[in-house]
Amino acid sequence: MLKSKTFLKKTRAGGVMKIVREHYLRDDIGCGAPGCAACDGAHEGPVLEPQPVDPASSLCPQPHYLLPDTNVLLHQIDVLEDPAIRNVIVLQTVLQEVRNRSAPVYKRIRDVTNNQEKHFYTFTNEHHRETYVEQEQGENANDRNDRAIRVAAKWYNEHLKKMSAENHLQVIFITNDKKNKEKAIEEGIPAFTCEEYVKSLTANPELIDRLACLSEEGNEIESGRIIFSEHLPLSKLQQGIKSGTYLQGTFRASRENYLEATVWVHGDPEEDKEIILQGLKNLNRAVHEDIVAVELLPKNQWVAPSSVVLHDEGQNEDDVEKEEERERTLKTAINEKMLKPTGRVVGIIKRNWRPYCGMLSKSDIKESRRHLFTPADRRIPRIRIETRQASALEGRRIIVAIDGWPRNSRYPNGHFVKNLGDVGDKETETEVLLLEHDVPHQPFSQAVLSFLPKMPWSITEKDMKNREDLRHLCVCSVDPPGCTDIDDALHCRELENGNVEVGVHIADVSHFIRPGNALDQESARRGTTVYLCEKRIDMVPELLSSNLCSLRCNVDRLAFSCIWEMNHNAEILKVRFTKSAINSKASLTYAEAQMRIDSAAMNDDITTSLRGLNKLAKILKKRRIEKGALTLSSPEVRFHMDSETHDPIDLQTKELRETNSMVEEFMLLANISVAKKIHEEFSEHALLRKHPAPPPSNYEILVKAAKSKNLEIKTDTAKSLADSLDRADSRTFPYVNTLLRILATRCMMQAVYFCSGMDNDFHHYGLASPIYTHFTSPIRRYADIIVHRLLAVAIGADCTYPELTDKHKLADLCKNLNFRHKMAQYAQRASVAFHTQLFFKSKGIVSEEGYILFVRKNAIVVLIPKYGLEGTVFFEEKDKPKPRLIYDDEIPSLKIEDTVFHIFDKVKVKIMLDSSNLQHQKIRMSLVEPQIPGISISADNPNMDIDEPERKKKKREK
Amino acid sequence: MASVALSEAEKVYIVHGVQEDLRVDGRGCEDYRYVEVETDVVSNTSGSARVKLGHTDILVGVKAEMGTPKLEKPNEGYLEFFVDCSANATPEFEGRGGDDLGTEIANTLYRIFNNKSSVDLQSLCISPREHCWILYVDVLLLECGGNLFDTICIAVKAALFNTRIPRVRVLEDEEGSKDIELSDDPYDCIRLSVDNVPCIVTLCKIGYRHVVDATLQEEACSLASLLVSVTSTGVVTCMRKVGKGSLDPESIFEMMETGKRVGKVLHASLQSVLHKEESLGPKRQKVGFLG
Repeated sequence: MLKSKTFLKKTRAGGVMKIVREHYLRDDIGCGAPGCAACDGAHEGPVLEPQPVDPASSLCPQPHYLLPDTNVLLHQIDVLEDPAIRNVIVLQTVLQEVRNRSAPVYKRIRDVTNNQEKHFYTFTNEHHRETYVEQEQGENANDRNDRAIRVAAKWYNEHLKKMSAENHLQVIFITNDKKNKEKAIEEGIPAFTCEEYVKSLTANPELIDRLACLSEEGNEIESGRIIFSEHLPLSKLQQGIKSGTYLQGTFRASRENYLEATVWVHGDPEEDKEIILQGLKNLNRAVHEDIVAVELLPKNQWVAPSSVVLHDEGQNEDDVEKEEERERTLKTAINEKMLKPTGRVVGIIKRNWRPYCGMLSKSDIKESRRHLFTPADRRIPRIRIETRQASALEGRRIIVAIDGWPRNSRYPNGHFVKNLGDVGDKETETEVLLLEHDVPHQPFSQAVLSFLPKMPWSITEKDMKNREDLRHLCVCSVDPPGCTDIDDALHCRELENGNVEVGVHIADVSHFIRPGNALDQESARRGTTVYLCEKRIDMVPELLSSNLCSLRCNVDRLAFSCIWEMNHNAEILKVRFTKSAINSKASLTYAEAQMRIDSAAMNDDITTSLRGLNKLAKILKKRRIEKGALTLSSPEVRFHMDSETHDPIDLQTKELRETNSMVEEFMLLANISVAKKIHEEFSEHALLRKHPAPPPSNYEILVKAAKSKNLEIKTDTAKSLADSLDRADSRTFPYVNTLLRILATRCMMQAVYFCSGMDNDFHHYGLASPIYTHFTSPIRRYADIIVHRLLAVAIGADCTYPELTDKHKLADLCKNLNFRHKMAQYAQRASVAFHTQLFFKSKGIVSEEGYILFVRKNAIVVLIPKYGLEGTVFFEEKDKPKPRLIYDDEIPSLKIEDTVFHIFDKVKVKIMLDSSNLQHQKIRMSLVEPQIPGISISADNPNMDIDEPERKKKKREK
Repeated sequence: MASVALSEAEKVYIVHGVQEDLRVDGRGCEDYRYVEVETDVVSNTSGSARVKLGHTDILVGVKAEMGTPKLEKPNEGYLEFFVDCSANATPEFEGRGGDDLGTEIANTLYRIFNNKSSVDLQSLCISPREHCWILYVDVLLLECGGNLFDTICIAVKAALFNTRIPRVRVLEDEEGSKDIELSDDPYDCIRLSVDNVPCIVTLCKIGYRHVVDATLQEEACSLASLLVSVTSTGVVTCMRKVGKGSLDPESIFEMMETGKRVGKVLHASLQSVLHKEESLGPKRQKVGFLG
């Protein structure tokens, strides 16, 4: 049966278009209940249970299915995800509305419906002959959808009655809309609000906590005082933005001061793009990362960014007046020059709320069910939640979602989502840092895994098409010990004409990950593999990363090879790229490879090949450095793990061998050769990587620091920087060179991926290469997969697809990759920081020597080479008399009482774990030497007040 | 124009018949053939109608698009006509063969709609000088069986009756910049009043008499005919003579009188048919091209 759906649409040019779609109705859509004779076998996939028994509801004791409406799905997804809720019918109407309104919720509900255990059934009511409804005159789209849902609910009830009358199966309609519920009951459909139903589940009281509190009139306990001004409706905001009265931007809360935020205005990069917001009322309920509309205040109300650190510690609602007082304190120190454009939030364009990790701050009142939740991220306001299990949640990391922020409430309302585990527990903390850095780390879904090749896998005839057989070559791989995702292998052999053939073979991941499928989309979303101290979050499923793509020895593997013909001076004569099949003869560690090269007794194929490579690599490296490539340094630390408890027992800085740089050199060469090739072939849409030169001002600190040690650093070009860094050496202070290099690293800009058609500066500053890309690690970086695809198309080994040659799509992809790489880096650092904390927790208090890396107004940053650990020594402490501090910006130096500190000065500090704030444990350093009376502490007297909070807690537990 | 070849004897037969008020197909001189009207036949348009008159088959689609008003009429929308002579109708229309006829018909349509009373053009204005609705009236000739002008006019009127223009609101902010907002209710639309839309009645002079709704054969016997556009109240809005022959003033006067009389009846029955169709509502079984 054919129907047509007609709707009007406004086009971008401002016209109005009438669109007509054909819509077919069918009578073979199953109801999803097994054993239904009327629609036997008309459905597949996860279905409802024939006898739903588990949710023992006091409201409806007989077996029943649930049928939620759109708003319930959107707001109460946390409840629906609970294992206790099963046998739910999700209507297509509902699913479509959810999809239009919230992509994340849509994804979550899709995951739930795919889960066999949950018995969720998607009913395509829009295509069912008996449940399709047409929009009637005087009915808006929402009313129509509500009616469609009711019609479907009614149909289900009648249908189930027909199926078996004695079963008393019922479909219960769940809606939070009062009118909708009334209408449903009028039509004879059993209907409840979500709250009523969840509360009736006597067997699962914990579900109530997960309910999002939305009932606006329900919060009668709240004082009626309105704190915030109303948000303007979206249409008004859009008009305002168009006309320029309001500015649209991303809201960024300040980490230091909860009463201050900046809005980063989108659009013109030339304009002054940051607006300051100060005071609760001007922040007007915006949360970090929201897209907001702001109105600029008149110039006489402009403020300067305050330098005060303020943390929200209020517990009650009543201290709004105190807030106002505090706000006033912000405004005192005003310097005319410092004034910045100031504004206030008039409306929210898009909320970017996500579930937040954090801890519960239990209410002082014992029996209270309302508690404040303090997120781990300081930029997120505290959230009020309602829970009965407060005592059970104390001292745990939990996840809370925001539901809304009414005008009369100081804090947003939210609900409890998940308990991650105990604070300080390794699993919990890893989970927290992955969540906080937005690293996708869920196990791969079935849909993704379905695109993996079937095992046992072997190379077939078809695979060998367009592929060269290089299995006879003596290829080997060199990697760090314990590496299971080997994505590169090398070979080197003498040719008959006296030249050398060098090959770099990279795992052919793009052979397994085909464009556009679920596996590809998931890898693109993850963007990179994240390496934490003891865990690896794979970008691609393990079967690929550790097996089929990993170039392990003595197995046939598919590779993408880059083969050069060079003379003995490492000058490239010819380069060619080909897809190949290889068989690695050995998987070596750096140490093993080094040993082979060094031992004169060994003269087998692999060793000669390695020696050849090593020789060429040295020449290549020398040439690269001559061109001005930088060798920078960062203190890299590796943990020795206890094999049983997985606790770090010792840490050590990474050792660098000749073989490390040998592999690196050829990877760089391959990347550069590939970058040239793909740019030549696709000048508009090659995916490249650039490293912009830092602005000269970035180097100031480096130059000053060197000067204080009577060394000269030139920063006009990369070459002169590299040379002057090489020259900077002090006989009395050998570590200064490393320190300078560490400092130089901090001056650098971030290297980024970009699409060649969208940019014209390709230069890679750090490597001193005019063009660069990533080709050599497709197992752990998605960018490399795209580069592989481009190169494959360029050499005619694979076919192209539309997205590959769409530069806007590529630019979007680059944006995501850059974001994921940054986040992966942060997560990695956070993981190292956490393990350092664990290490010092077990180690107790230690005193170590270190060097001053930076001098700040009231603190010094100290680097301890032994642990690669960096920490800040503060000289101003709460509740202690302030010492006399004189800061000189020019040198820079800091004078405390009578002692002067310069950059690179040697100091001795005491390191300990500060657990005074359970949520933010940190390494604390205090000065031991040089001794300053009243500031430094003696080496053998442990600082008492730091451990105190923990002890107190223990006592309470007893 | 499409024509048929007739022998002298056939012509005499037809002319003599008309003299006796008895036409070849049995009609009187002032009788129309059986007319079939169906509206809302093309879902992509804002309004559409298909009219069959004898063997003449016409499809009209009206498309409403937003545009800027004409300079001389800043607070009115306007209509655009386009006539497409399909080669399906007659082989003569193949290639560009139908262009002349198409332009001729379109020009005639412009002429009869070129007055204030026929359609309320002011209701098509959204905001003066800036936005208005333009109604593109596209006429498609599917089959030619004589009396093209009358049939097209009936079809245009039916299509305009069927036209639904989405209601839009102009939002204006303090700065004076305007934004157009579309109602999300598809039933929320403007309809045109077609009470004053005129119809053409073609009167063919055959011998000493004249007939309405001439067939192709009758047209071949006529040397001159008169197009009279009449409104439902019988007001003549426009008149045009076509054909090689000449007409004396007296017979023109007679023909106009006939035109008014016949036109009023034609309007009345068309109106009642359209209202009857609409009263069936959306549940009406559509006939479309299958009927």
